[in-house]
Amino acid sequence: MPQVIEVCPLNELEPGEMRLVEWEDLEIGVFNCAGTVYAIEDRCSHDNGTLVEGTLDEENCTIECPRHGSLFDLKTGKPKTLPAYVPVDTYPVIIEDEKIKLEVE
Amino acid sequence: MAVELTENQQLAAINADYEERYGFRDAENYLYKAPKGLNREIVEKISEFKSEPQWMREFRLKALDHFLSRPQPTWGSPLMAEVDYDNIHYFVRASEKAGRSWDDVPEDVKRTFDRLGIPEAERKFLSGVGAQYESEVVYHQVREDLEKQGVIFKDMDSGLREHEDIIRDYFATVIPPNDNKLAALNSAVWSGGSFVYVPEGVHVEMPLQAYFRINTENMGQFERTLIIAEPGSYVHYVEGCTAPTYSSSSLHSAVVELIAKPGARIRYTTVQNWSTNVFNLVTKRAVAHEDATVEWVDCNLGSRLTMKYPSVYLVGERAHGEILSIAFAGKGQHQDAGGKIIHAAPNTTSNIFAKSISKDGGRGSYRGLLEIAKGAHGARSKVVCDALLLDEHSRSDTYPTIRIGEDDVNVGHEATVSKVGDDQLFYLMSHGIPEDEASKLIVNGFIEPITKELPMEYAVEMNRLIELQMEGSIG
Repeated sequence: MPQVIEVCPLNELEPGEMRLVEWEDLEIGVFNCAGTVYAIEDRCSHDNGTLVEGTLDEENCTIECPRHGSLFDLKTGKPKTLPAYVPVDTYPVIIEDEKIKLEVE
Repeated sequence: MAVELTENQQLAAINADYEERYGFRDAENYLYKAPKGLNREIVEKISEFKSEPQWMREFRLKALDHFLSRPQPTWGSPLMAEVDYDNIHYFVRASEKAGRSWDDVPEDVKRTFDRLGIPEAERKFLSGVGAQYESEVVYHQVREDLEKQGVIFKDMDSGLREHEDIIRDYFATVIPPNDNKLAALNSAVWSGGSFVYVPEGVHVEMPLQAYFRINTENMGQFERTLIIAEPGSYVHYVEGCTAPTYSSSSLHSAVVELIAKPGARIRYTTVQNWSTNVFNLVTKRAVAHEDATVEWVDCNLGSRLTMKYPSVYLVGERAHGEILSIAFAGKGQHQDAGGKIIHAAPNTTSNIFAKSISKDGGRGSYRGLLEIAKGAHGARSKVVCDALLLDEHSRSDTYPTIRIGEDDVNVGHEATVSKVGDDQLFYLMSHGIPEDEASKLIVNGFIEPITKELPMEYAVEMNRLIELQMEGSIG
Protein backbone atom coordinates (compact mmCIF):
# COMPACT_ATOMS: atom_id res chain seq x y z
CA MET A 1 0.00 0.00 0.00
CA PRO A 2 1.39 3.41 -0.95
CA GLN A 3 1.97 5.68 1.99
CA VAL A 4 2.72 9.40 2.21
CA ILE A 5 5.62 10.48 4.42
CA GLU A 6 6.61 13.99 5.38
CA VAL A 7 10.16 15.14 4.62
CA CYS A 8 10.47 18.76 5.79
CA PRO A 9 9.04 22.23 5.28
CA LEU A 10 9.67 23.43 1.73
CA ASN A 11 11.74 26.39 2.92
CA GLU A 12 14.21 24.01 4.58
CA LEU A 13 15.29 22.61 1.22
CA GLU A 14 16.37 25.57 -0.87
CA PRO A 15 17.07 25.32 -4.62
CA GLY A 16 20.40 23.52 -5.10
CA GLU A 17 20.05 21.63 -1.81
CA MET A 18 19.53 17.91 -1.27
CA ARG A 19 19.01 15.62 1.65
CA LEU A 20 18.71 11.99 2.57
CA VAL A 21 15.43 10.53 3.85
CA GLU A 22 15.31 7.12 5.45
CA TRP A 23 12.06 5.24 5.70
CA GLU A 24 11.92 1.59 6.75
CA ASP A 25 14.62 -0.01 4.59
CA LEU A 26 14.52 2.71 1.91
CA GLU A 27 17.10 5.43 1.47
CA ILE A 28 15.80 8.25 -0.70
CA GLY A 29 17.58 11.32 -2.01
CA VAL A 30 15.40 14.45 -2.14
CA PHE A 31 16.66 17.23 -4.41
CA ASN A 32 15.50 20.79 -4.99
CA CYS A 33 16.43 21.40 -8.59
CA ALA A 34 15.87 25.08 -9.42
CA GLY A 35 12.63 25.15 -7.44
CA THR A 36 11.25 21.73 -8.39
CA VAL A 37 11.63 18.91 -5.91
CA TYR A 38 12.53 15.37 -7.04
CA ALA A 39 13.08 12.16 -5.12
CA ILE A 40 15.09 9.13 -6.28
CA GLU A 41 16.61 6.08 -4.69
CA ASP A 42 19.84 7.18 -2.99
CA ARG A 43 21.98 4.39 -4.38
CA CYS A 44 23.91 4.40 -7.62
CA SER A 45 22.95 1.28 -9.55
CA HIS A 46 26.60 0.79 -10.60
CA ASP A 47 28.46 0.60 -7.32
CA ASN A 48 26.09 1.72 -4.54
CA GLY A 49 27.43 5.29 -4.33
CA THR A 50 25.41 7.68 -2.17
CA LEU A 51 23.90 10.10 -4.65
CA VAL A 52 23.08 12.87 -2.15
CA GLU A 53 26.83 13.26 -1.66
CA GLY A 54 27.26 13.95 -5.37
CA THR A 55 27.09 17.10 -7.46
CA LEU A 56 23.68 18.49 -8.40
CA ASP A 57 23.39 20.11 -11.82
CA GLU A 58 20.30 22.31 -11.63
CA GLU A 59 20.47 23.33 -15.27
CA ASN A 60 20.32 19.77 -16.60
CA CYS A 61 18.46 18.33 -13.62
CA THR A 62 21.02 15.60 -12.94
CA ILE A 63 22.94 14.25 -9.98
CA GLU A 64 26.49 12.96 -10.44
CA CYS A 65 27.46 9.90 -8.44
CA PRO A 66 30.52 10.79 -6.36
CA ARG A 67 32.06 7.33 -6.80
CA HIS A 68 32.49 6.93 -10.57
CA GLY A 69 30.74 9.88 -12.11
CA SER A 70 27.53 8.44 -13.60
CA LEU A 71 24.92 11.14 -14.16
CA PHE A 72 21.33 10.32 -13.21
CA ASP A 73 18.30 12.15 -14.55
CA LEU A 74 16.36 13.27 -11.48
CA LYS A 75 13.06 13.24 -13.37
CA THR A 76 13.28 9.64 -14.58
CA GLY A 77 16.01 7.98 -12.48
CA LYS A 78 17.70 6.88 -15.71
CA PRO A 79 21.50 7.07 -16.00
CA LYS A 80 22.60 9.53 -18.69
CA THR A 81 26.21 8.32 -18.69
CA LEU A 82 27.99 5.04 -18.02
CA PRO A 83 29.25 3.18 -16.03
CA ALA A 84 25.74 2.89 -14.51
CA TYR A 85 23.18 1.47 -16.93
CA VAL A 86 20.26 0.46 -14.71
CA PRO A 87 17.73 3.17 -13.68
CA VAL A 88 17.20 3.88 -10.00
CA ASP A 89 13.71 4.09 -8.45
CA THR A 90 11.88 7.40 -8.41
CA TYR A 91 9.27 8.52 -5.87
CA PRO A 92 6.34 10.88 -6.42
CA VAL A 93 6.80 14.21 -4.61
CA ILE A 94 3.82 16.05 -3.15
CA ILE A 95 4.07 19.67 -2.00
CA GLU A 96 1.23 20.26 0.43
CA ASP A 97 0.83 23.00 3.05
CA GLU A 98 4.34 24.26 2.20
CA LYS A 99 5.72 20.87 3.14
CA ILE A 100 7.60 18.29 1.06
CA LYS A 101 6.02 14.87 1.16
CA LEU A 102 6.88 11.62 -0.63
CA GLU A 103 4.73 8.74 -1.73
CA VAL A 104 6.47 5.50 -0.82
CA GLU A 105 5.60 1.84 -0.83
CA MET B 1 78.59 -23.13 -26.09
CA ALA B 2 78.12 -22.33 -29.74
CA VAL B 3 74.35 -22.23 -29.20
CA GLU B 4 74.73 -19.78 -26.30
CA LEU B 5 76.79 -17.42 -28.41
CA THR B 6 74.23 -17.42 -31.14
CA GLU B 7 71.50 -16.67 -28.64
CA ASN B 8 73.45 -13.79 -27.17
CA GLN B 9 73.98 -12.36 -30.59
CA GLN B 10 70.31 -12.72 -31.33
CA LEU B 11 69.36 -11.04 -28.06
CA ALA B 12 71.67 -8.14 -28.84
CA ALA B 13 70.06 -7.90 -32.25
CA ILE B 14 66.59 -7.49 -30.72
CA ASN B 15 67.56 -4.38 -28.78
CA ALA B 16 69.40 -2.97 -31.74
CA ASP B 17 66.31 -3.38 -33.83
CA TYR B 18 63.97 -1.50 -31.46
CA GLU B 19 66.46 1.36 -31.24
CA GLU B 20 66.82 1.54 -34.97
CA ARG B 21 63.19 1.04 -35.93
CA TYR B 22 61.38 2.81 -33.12
CA GLY B 23 63.78 3.80 -30.35
CA PHE B 24 65.48 6.74 -32.07
CA ARG B 25 64.93 10.22 -30.65
CA ASP B 26 64.77 13.64 -32.25
CA ALA B 27 66.33 16.86 -31.01
CA GLU B 28 63.77 18.87 -29.05
CA ASN B 29 62.75 21.89 -31.04
CA TYR B 30 59.45 22.69 -29.42
CA LEU B 31 57.15 25.67 -29.41
CA TYR B 32 56.19 24.98 -25.81
CA LYS B 33 57.10 22.44 -23.17
CA ALA B 34 55.32 22.58 -19.81
CA PRO B 35 57.49 22.26 -16.72
CA LYS B 36 57.20 18.93 -14.90
CA GLY B 37 54.29 18.38 -12.56
CA LEU B 38 50.57 19.06 -12.60
CA ASN B 39 48.59 21.92 -11.13
CA ARG B 40 45.67 24.20 -11.94
CA GLU B 41 47.92 26.60 -13.82
CA ILE B 42 49.09 23.90 -16.27
CA VAL B 43 45.51 22.79 -16.93
CA GLU B 44 44.41 26.38 -17.54
CA LYS B 45 47.39 26.90 -19.82
CA ILE B 46 46.47 23.87 -21.95
CA SER B 47 42.90 25.11 -22.28
CA GLU B 48 44.11 28.61 -23.13
CA PHE B 49 46.54 27.31 -25.77
CA LYS B 50 43.67 25.52 -27.44
CA SER B 51 41.25 28.49 -27.15
CA GLU B 52 38.62 26.17 -25.78
CA PRO B 53 35.04 26.98 -24.83
CA GLN B 54 34.38 27.71 -21.18
CA TRP B 55 32.54 24.42 -20.57
CA MET B 56 35.61 22.40 -21.57
CA ARG B 57 37.85 24.50 -19.34
CA GLU B 58 35.48 23.86 -16.41
CA PHE B 59 35.33 20.16 -17.31
CA ARG B 60 39.13 19.97 -17.14
CA LEU B 61 39.39 21.78 -13.81
CA LYS B 62 36.72 19.63 -12.20
CA ALA B 63 38.50 16.52 -13.51
CA LEU B 64 41.75 17.79 -11.99
CA ASP B 65 40.03 17.97 -8.58
CA HIS B 66 38.85 14.36 -9.06
CA PHE B 67 42.38 13.28 -9.99
CA LEU B 68 44.00 14.99 -7.03
CA SER B 69 41.44 13.67 -4.53
CA ARG B 70 41.58 10.05 -5.66
CA PRO B 71 44.21 7.71 -4.23
CA GLN B 72 46.57 5.85 -6.54
CA PRO B 73 45.00 2.46 -7.33
CA THR B 74 46.69 -0.31 -5.38
CA TRP B 75 45.13 -3.24 -7.21
CA GLY B 76 46.50 -4.60 -10.45
CA SER B 77 50.25 -4.31 -10.40
CA PRO B 78 52.88 -3.45 -7.79
CA LEU B 79 54.58 -1.46 -10.56
CA MET B 80 51.85 1.19 -10.14
CA ALA B 81 53.83 2.42 -7.13
CA GLU B 82 56.60 3.49 -9.54
CA VAL B 83 54.41 6.01 -11.37
CA ASP B 84 55.66 9.47 -10.37
CA TYR B 85 53.07 12.06 -11.44
CA ASP B 86 55.37 14.92 -10.41
CA ASN B 87 58.10 13.85 -12.80
CA ILE B 88 56.08 14.18 -16.01
CA HIS B 89 55.74 16.91 -18.62
CA TYR B 90 51.99 17.18 -19.16
CA PHE B 91 51.99 19.17 -22.36
CA VAL B 92 54.48 19.56 -25.20
CA ARG B 93 53.65 21.40 -28.40
CA ALA B 94 55.78 20.48 -31.39
CA SER B 95 53.94 22.20 -34.23
CA GLU B 96 51.68 25.20 -34.80
CA LYS B 97 48.76 23.24 -36.21
CA ALA B 98 47.81 19.88 -37.68
CA GLY B 99 48.83 19.83 -41.34
CA ARG B 100 46.71 18.32 -44.08
CA SER B 101 49.75 17.68 -46.20
CA TRP B 102 52.96 16.01 -45.09
CA ASP B 103 54.72 19.11 -46.43
CA ASP B 104 53.13 21.16 -43.65
CA VAL B 105 54.65 18.97 -40.95
CA PRO B 106 57.92 20.23 -39.41
CA GLU B 107 60.87 18.57 -41.13
CA ASP B 108 62.25 16.62 -38.15
CA VAL B 109 58.81 15.35 -37.13
CA LYS B 110 58.06 14.33 -40.71
CA ARG B 111 61.32 12.41 -40.82
CA THR B 112 60.21 10.49 -37.75
CA PHE B 113 56.97 9.39 -39.37
CA ASP B 114 58.81 8.62 -42.59
CA ARG B 115 61.07 6.28 -40.66
CA LEU B 116 58.02 4.66 -39.10
CA GLY B 117 56.52 4.16 -42.55
CA ILE B 118 53.30 6.12 -41.96
CA PRO B 119 52.96 8.15 -45.17
CA GLU B 120 53.70 5.01 -47.18
CA ALA B 121 51.00 3.06 -45.36
CA GLU B 122 48.56 5.89 -45.96
CA ARG B 123 49.10 5.76 -49.69
CA LYS B 124 48.74 2.00 -49.80
CA PHE B 125 45.82 0.93 -47.71
CA LEU B 126 44.27 3.53 -45.44
CA SER B 127 41.21 5.75 -45.65
CA GLY B 128 42.72 8.36 -43.40
CA VAL B 129 45.65 9.01 -41.12
CA GLY B 130 46.28 10.98 -37.97
CA ALA B 131 49.80 11.32 -36.59
CA GLN B 132 50.28 12.56 -33.06
CA TYR B 133 53.72 13.72 -31.91
CA GLU B 134 53.97 14.42 -28.17
CA SER B 135 50.78 16.20 -27.07
CA GLU B 136 49.28 17.18 -30.38
CA VAL B 137 48.38 15.86 -33.79
CA VAL B 138 50.80 17.13 -36.44
CA TYR B 139 49.16 15.62 -39.49
CA HIS B 140 45.62 14.67 -40.34
CA GLN B 141 44.04 13.61 -43.57
CA VAL B 142 41.01 11.69 -44.72
CA ARG B 143 40.12 10.57 -48.21
CA GLU B 144 38.05 13.11 -50.08
CA ASP B 145 35.30 10.71 -51.12
CA LEU B 146 34.66 9.85 -47.47
CA GLU B 147 34.61 13.50 -46.51
CA LYS B 148 31.99 14.05 -49.20
CA GLN B 149 29.86 11.32 -47.65
CA GLY B 150 29.96 13.21 -44.37
CA VAL B 151 32.61 11.15 -42.60
CA ILE B 152 34.47 13.25 -40.05
CA PHE B 153 37.98 12.18 -39.08
CA LYS B 154 39.73 14.94 -37.18
CA ASP B 155 42.14 15.30 -34.37
CA MET B 156 40.10 15.89 -31.22
CA ASP B 157 41.23 19.50 -30.81
CA SER B 158 40.03 20.43 -34.29
CA GLY B 159 36.92 18.31 -33.74
CA LEU B 160 36.01 20.38 -30.70
CA ARG B 161 36.55 23.62 -32.60
CA GLU B 162 34.60 22.60 -35.69
CA HIS B 163 31.94 20.23 -34.31
CA GLU B 164 31.40 21.43 -30.77
CA ASP B 165 27.68 20.61 -30.85
CA ILE B 166 28.27 16.90 -31.56
CA ILE B 167 31.15 16.61 -29.12
CA ARG B 168 29.29 18.29 -26.31
CA ASP B 169 26.48 15.74 -26.66
CA TYR B 170 28.73 12.67 -26.47
CA PHE B 171 32.04 13.60 -24.83
CA ALA B 172 32.57 11.78 -21.50
CA THR B 173 29.17 10.08 -21.65
CA VAL B 174 30.83 6.67 -21.94
CA ILE B 175 33.75 7.37 -19.58
CA PRO B 176 32.97 10.15 -17.12
CA PRO B 177 35.95 12.09 -15.72
CA ASN B 178 35.42 10.58 -12.29
CA ASP B 179 35.34 6.99 -13.59
CA ASN B 180 38.82 6.29 -12.23
CA LYS B 181 42.00 8.20 -11.33
CA LEU B 182 43.58 7.83 -14.75
CA ALA B 183 40.41 8.83 -16.60
CA ALA B 184 40.29 11.91 -14.36
CA LEU B 185 43.91 12.69 -15.25
CA ASN B 186 43.20 12.35 -18.96
CA SER B 187 40.06 14.49 -18.66
CA ALA B 188 42.10 17.25 -17.01
CA VAL B 189 45.00 17.35 -19.47
CA TRP B 190 43.73 15.61 -22.62
CA SER B 191 45.28 16.71 -25.87
CA GLY B 192 45.09 15.21 -29.34
CA GLY B 193 43.50 11.89 -30.17
CA SER B 194 40.85 11.36 -32.83
CA PHE B 195 37.28 12.37 -33.40
CA VAL B 196 35.49 10.08 -35.83
CA TYR B 197 31.90 10.48 -36.95
CA VAL B 198 30.38 8.12 -39.50
CA PRO B 199 26.94 9.12 -40.85
CA GLU B 200 24.03 6.70 -41.10
CA GLY B 201 24.57 3.83 -43.51
CA VAL B 202 28.11 4.82 -44.56
CA HIS B 203 30.69 2.03 -44.68
CA VAL B 204 34.31 3.11 -44.42
CA GLU B 205 35.85 0.12 -46.18
CA MET B 206 39.54 0.80 -45.53
CA PRO B 207 40.80 1.48 -42.02
CA LEU B 208 41.39 4.88 -40.48
CA GLN B 209 44.68 4.95 -38.67
CA ALA B 210 46.21 7.01 -35.89
CA TYR B 211 49.84 6.78 -34.95
CA PHE B 212 51.07 8.01 -31.57
CA ARG B 213 54.65 8.92 -30.96
CA ILE B 214 56.33 10.09 -27.75
CA ASN B 215 59.78 11.66 -28.22
CA THR B 216 60.57 13.54 -24.99
CA GLU B 217 61.88 11.90 -21.84
CA ASN B 218 59.39 11.93 -18.94
CA MET B 219 56.60 12.83 -21.31
CA GLY B 220 52.93 12.27 -20.61
CA GLN B 221 50.71 11.63 -23.60
CA PHE B 222 46.98 11.92 -22.96
CA GLU B 223 45.07 11.58 -26.17
CA ARG B 224 41.31 11.46 -26.20
CA THR B 225 39.38 9.56 -28.85
CA LEU B 226 35.67 9.55 -29.55
CA ILE B 227 34.10 7.47 -32.32
CA ILE B 228 30.42 7.76 -33.15
CA ALA B 229 28.95 5.33 -35.68
CA GLU B 230 25.44 6.31 -36.71
CA PRO B 231 22.83 3.57 -37.47
CA GLY B 232 23.93 0.96 -40.00
CA SER B 233 27.40 2.40 -40.49
CA TYR B 234 30.80 0.68 -40.28
CA VAL B 235 34.28 1.86 -39.44
CA HIS B 236 37.59 0.23 -38.59
CA TYR B 237 40.04 2.35 -36.62
CA VAL B 238 43.63 1.25 -36.11
CA GLU B 239 46.16 2.75 -33.75
CA GLY B 240 49.84 2.13 -33.22
CA CYS B 241 52.37 3.64 -30.86
CA THR B 242 56.11 3.71 -30.18
CA ALA B 243 58.62 5.77 -28.21
CA PRO B 244 62.37 6.06 -27.71
CA THR B 245 63.88 4.07 -24.87
CA TYR B 246 64.86 6.21 -21.89
CA SER B 247 66.11 5.24 -18.48
CA SER B 248 63.30 7.10 -16.69
CA SER B 249 59.57 6.72 -17.18
CA SER B 250 57.01 8.23 -19.45
CA LEU B 251 53.26 7.97 -19.05
CA HIS B 252 50.61 7.25 -21.63
CA SER B 253 47.05 7.54 -20.41
CA ALA B 254 44.39 7.67 -23.08
CA VAL B 255 40.63 7.68 -22.90
CA VAL B 256 38.76 6.08 -25.80
CA GLU B 257 34.97 6.19 -26.11
CA LEU B 258 33.05 4.33 -28.82
CA ILE B 259 29.35 4.70 -29.54
CA ALA B 260 27.77 2.22 -31.95
CA LYS B 261 24.19 3.21 -32.74
CA PRO B 262 21.58 0.63 -33.83
CA GLY B 263 22.92 -1.76 -36.46
CA ALA B 264 26.35 -0.05 -36.61
CA ARG B 265 29.67 -1.83 -36.35
CA ILE B 266 32.93 -0.46 -34.97
CA ARG B 267 36.19 -2.35 -34.97
CA TYR B 268 39.04 -0.82 -33.00
CA THR B 269 42.49 -2.34 -33.40
CA THR B 270 45.52 -1.46 -31.30
CA VAL B 271 49.10 -2.56 -31.83
CA GLN B 272 50.81 -1.19 -28.72
CA ASN B 273 54.58 -1.26 -28.92
CA TRP B 274 55.74 1.41 -26.48
CA SER B 275 59.34 1.22 -25.30
CA THR B 276 59.79 -0.51 -21.96
CA ASN B 277 60.03 2.71 -19.94
CA VAL B 278 56.42 3.71 -20.69
CA PHE B 279 53.56 3.21 -18.25
CA ASN B 280 50.51 2.55 -20.37
CA LEU B 281 47.35 3.12 -18.31
CA VAL B 282 44.39 3.43 -20.60
CA THR B 283 40.59 3.46 -20.27
CA LYS B 284 38.68 2.16 -23.29
CA ARG B 285 34.95 1.64 -23.30
CA ALA B 286 32.23 1.19 -25.88
CA VAL B 287 28.47 1.24 -25.88
CA ALA B 288 26.60 -0.91 -28.39
CA HIS B 289 22.95 -0.20 -29.09
CA GLU B 290 20.36 -2.51 -30.66
CA ASP B 291 21.83 -4.89 -33.26
CA ALA B 292 25.18 -3.05 -33.10
CA THR B 293 28.59 -4.72 -32.94
CA VAL B 294 31.75 -3.50 -31.28
CA GLU B 295 35.04 -5.36 -31.63
CA TRP B 296 38.24 -4.54 -29.77
CA VAL B 297 41.39 -6.15 -31.17
CA ASP B 298 44.03 -5.31 -28.62
CA CYS B 299 47.68 -6.32 -29.03
CA ASN B 300 50.08 -5.33 -26.28
CA LEU B 301 53.77 -5.91 -26.88
CA GLY B 302 55.62 -3.00 -25.37
CA SER B 303 55.56 -0.79 -22.23
CA ARG B 304 56.85 -1.35 -18.71
CA LEU B 305 53.32 -1.80 -17.40
CA THR B 306 50.08 -1.91 -19.31
CA MET B 307 46.77 -1.86 -17.49
CA LYS B 308 44.01 -1.91 -20.05
CA TYR B 309 40.64 -3.64 -20.15
CA PRO B 310 38.61 -2.55 -23.18
CA SER B 311 34.94 -2.93 -22.39
CA VAL B 312 31.64 -3.11 -24.21
CA TYR B 313 28.26 -2.25 -22.72
CA LEU B 314 25.63 -4.08 -24.71
CA VAL B 315 22.66 -1.83 -24.01
CA GLY B 316 20.43 -2.70 -26.98
CA GLU B 317 18.75 -5.97 -27.82
CA ARG B 318 20.88 -8.37 -29.94
CA ALA B 319 23.99 -6.20 -29.64
CA HIS B 320 27.28 -8.07 -29.97
CA GLY B 321 30.62 -7.45 -28.32
CA GLU B 322 33.94 -9.03 -29.14
CA ILE B 323 37.31 -8.63 -27.42
CA LEU B 324 40.42 -10.23 -28.84
CA SER B 325 43.47 -9.58 -26.73
CA ILE B 326 47.11 -10.57 -27.12
CA ALA B 327 49.69 -9.66 -24.50
CA PHE B 328 53.37 -10.37 -24.76
CA ALA B 329 55.35 -9.83 -21.53
CA GLY B 330 59.13 -9.89 -21.78
CA LYS B 331 61.87 -9.02 -19.30
CA GLY B 332 60.76 -6.42 -16.73
CA GLN B 333 57.31 -6.09 -18.26
CA HIS B 334 53.87 -6.58 -16.79
CA GLN B 335 50.96 -6.81 -19.21
CA ASP B 336 47.78 -6.60 -17.16
CA ALA B 337 45.23 -6.84 -19.93
CA GLY B 338 41.86 -8.37 -20.60
CA GLY B 339 38.37 -7.05 -21.22
CA LYS B 340 34.91 -6.43 -19.87
CA ILE B 341 31.53 -7.16 -21.37
CA ILE B 342 28.28 -6.06 -19.79
CA HIS B 343 25.11 -7.63 -21.13
CA ALA B 344 22.47 -5.05 -20.26
CA ALA B 345 19.81 -6.12 -22.77
CA PRO B 346 18.12 -9.35 -23.90
CA ASN B 347 19.57 -11.69 -26.54
CA THR B 348 22.95 -9.97 -26.55
CA THR B 349 26.04 -11.99 -27.41
CA SER B 350 29.74 -11.69 -26.72
CA ASN B 351 33.13 -13.36 -26.97
CA ILE B 352 36.36 -12.63 -25.15
CA PHE B 353 39.47 -14.38 -26.44
CA ALA B 354 42.61 -13.45 -24.53
CA LYS B 355 46.07 -14.87 -25.12
CA SER B 356 49.16 -14.03 -23.12
CA ILE B 357 52.75 -15.06 -23.62
CA SER B 358 55.34 -14.53 -20.89
CA LYS B 359 59.08 -14.94 -21.21
CA ASP B 360 62.34 -13.87 -19.51
CA GLY B 361 60.61 -13.22 -16.19
CA GLY B 362 57.78 -11.16 -17.70
CA ARG B 363 54.31 -11.24 -16.19
CA GLY B 364 51.09 -11.57 -18.16
CA SER B 365 47.76 -11.15 -16.40
CA TYR B 366 44.27 -11.61 -17.70
CA ARG B 367 41.73 -9.50 -15.84
CA GLY B 368 38.18 -9.68 -17.07
CA LEU B 369 34.59 -9.05 -16.22
CA LEU B 370 31.55 -10.67 -17.70
CA GLU B 371 28.30 -9.30 -16.35
CA ILE B 372 24.79 -10.30 -17.30
CA ALA B 373 22.22 -7.93 -15.86
CA LYS B 374 18.82 -8.91 -14.61
CA GLY B 375 16.48 -8.89 -17.57
CA ALA B 376 19.17 -9.70 -20.15
CA HIS B 377 17.52 -13.04 -20.90
CA GLY B 378 18.81 -15.09 -23.79
CA ALA B 379 22.31 -13.61 -23.44
CA ARG B 380 25.16 -15.78 -24.66
CA SER B 381 28.84 -15.36 -23.93
CA LYS B 382 32.06 -17.25 -24.25
CA VAL B 383 35.29 -16.32 -22.48
CA VAL B 384 38.52 -18.08 -23.32
CA CYS B 385 41.83 -17.06 -21.82
CA ASP B 386 45.00 -18.95 -22.58
CA ALA B 387 48.47 -18.31 -21.26
CA LEU B 388 51.73 -19.60 -22.64
CA LEU B 389 54.83 -19.59 -20.43
CA LEU B 390 58.14 -19.84 -22.21
CA ASP B 391 60.37 -20.37 -19.19
CA GLU B 392 60.28 -21.07 -15.46
CA HIS B 393 60.94 -17.46 -14.39
CA SER B 394 57.88 -16.00 -16.06
CA ARG B 395 54.46 -15.62 -14.57
CA SER B 396 50.85 -15.76 -15.64
CA ASP B 397 47.77 -14.82 -13.60
CA THR B 398 44.10 -14.97 -14.40
CA TYR B 399 41.52 -12.81 -12.61
CA PRO B 400 38.16 -13.53 -14.17
CA THR B 401 34.98 -12.12 -12.66
CA ILE B 402 31.61 -13.39 -13.78
CA ARG B 403 28.34 -11.95 -12.47
CA ILE B 404 25.12 -13.42 -13.72
CA GLY B 405 21.78 -11.88 -12.76
CA GLU B 406 19.51 -13.84 -15.10
CA ASP B 407 18.62 -17.54 -15.38
CA ASP B 408 17.99 -17.98 -19.06
CA VAL B 409 21.55 -17.38 -20.32
CA ASN B 410 24.43 -19.35 -21.76
CA VAL B 411 27.90 -18.55 -20.44
CA GLY B 412 31.11 -20.45 -21.03
CA HIS B 413 34.49 -19.82 -19.51
CA GLU B 414 37.69 -21.67 -20.36
CA ALA B 415 41.19 -20.96 -19.18
CA THR B 416 44.45 -22.76 -19.90
CA VAL B 417 48.05 -22.25 -18.94
CA SER B 418 50.67 -24.13 -20.90
CA LYS B 419 54.36 -24.31 -21.54
CA VAL B 420 56.00 -24.79 -24.89
CA GLY B 421 56.15 -28.54 -24.47
CA ASP B 422 59.19 -30.67 -25.16
CA ASP B 423 56.98 -33.10 -27.08
CA GLN B 424 55.70 -30.32 -29.37
CA LEU B 425 59.26 -29.14 -30.01
CA PHE B 426 60.47 -32.70 -30.53
CA TYR B 427 57.69 -33.36 -33.05
CA LEU B 428 58.57 -30.30 -35.15
CA MET B 429 62.33 -30.85 -34.82
CA SER B 430 61.94 -34.44 -35.94
CA HIS B 431 60.61 -32.95 -39.19
CA GLY B 432 63.83 -31.04 -39.67
CA ILE B 433 62.73 -27.70 -38.21
CA PRO B 434 65.39 -26.04 -36.04
CA GLU B 435 64.51 -25.50 -32.38
CA ASP B 436 64.08 -21.70 -32.47
CA GLU B 437 61.95 -21.93 -35.63
CA ALA B 438 59.84 -24.63 -33.99
CA SER B 439 59.29 -22.45 -30.96
CA LYS B 440 58.23 -19.50 -33.10
CA LEU B 441 55.81 -21.73 -34.98
CA ILE B 442 54.23 -22.84 -31.74
CA VAL B 443 53.85 -19.26 -30.52
CA ASN B 444 52.50 -18.08 -33.86
CA GLY B 445 50.03 -20.94 -33.83
CA PHE B 446 49.01 -19.92 -30.31
CA ILE B 447 48.17 -16.35 -31.28
CA GLU B 448 46.96 -17.09 -34.81
CA PRO B 449 43.23 -16.95 -33.93
CA ILE B 450 43.77 -13.28 -33.12
CA THR B 451 46.35 -12.19 -35.68
CA LYS B 452 44.11 -13.54 -38.43
CA GLU B 453 41.61 -10.84 -37.41
CA LEU B 454 44.13 -8.07 -38.08
CA PRO B 455 44.34 -6.35 -41.47
CA MET B 456 47.02 -8.21 -43.41
CA GLU B 457 49.64 -5.47 -43.13
CA TYR B 458 49.31 -5.46 -39.34
CA ALA B 459 49.22 -9.23 -39.07
CA VAL B 460 52.55 -9.35 -40.89
CA GLU B 461 53.97 -6.67 -38.58
CA MET B 462 52.57 -8.42 -35.53
CA ASN B 463 54.13 -11.74 -36.51
CA ARG B 464 57.44 -9.97 -37.16
CA LEU B 465 57.35 -8.32 -33.73
CA ILE B 466 56.49 -11.57 -32.03
CA GLU B 467 59.31 -13.29 -33.86
CA LEU B 468 61.71 -10.59 -32.71
CA GLN B 469 60.59 -10.97 -29.14
CA MET B 470 60.92 -14.71 -29.46
CA GLU B 471 64.45 -14.80 -30.78
CA GLY B 472 66.93 -16.21 -28.34
CA SER B 473 64.21 -17.47 -26.09
CA ILE B 474 65.16 -21.12 -26.30
CA GLY B 475 67.81 -22.32 -23.97
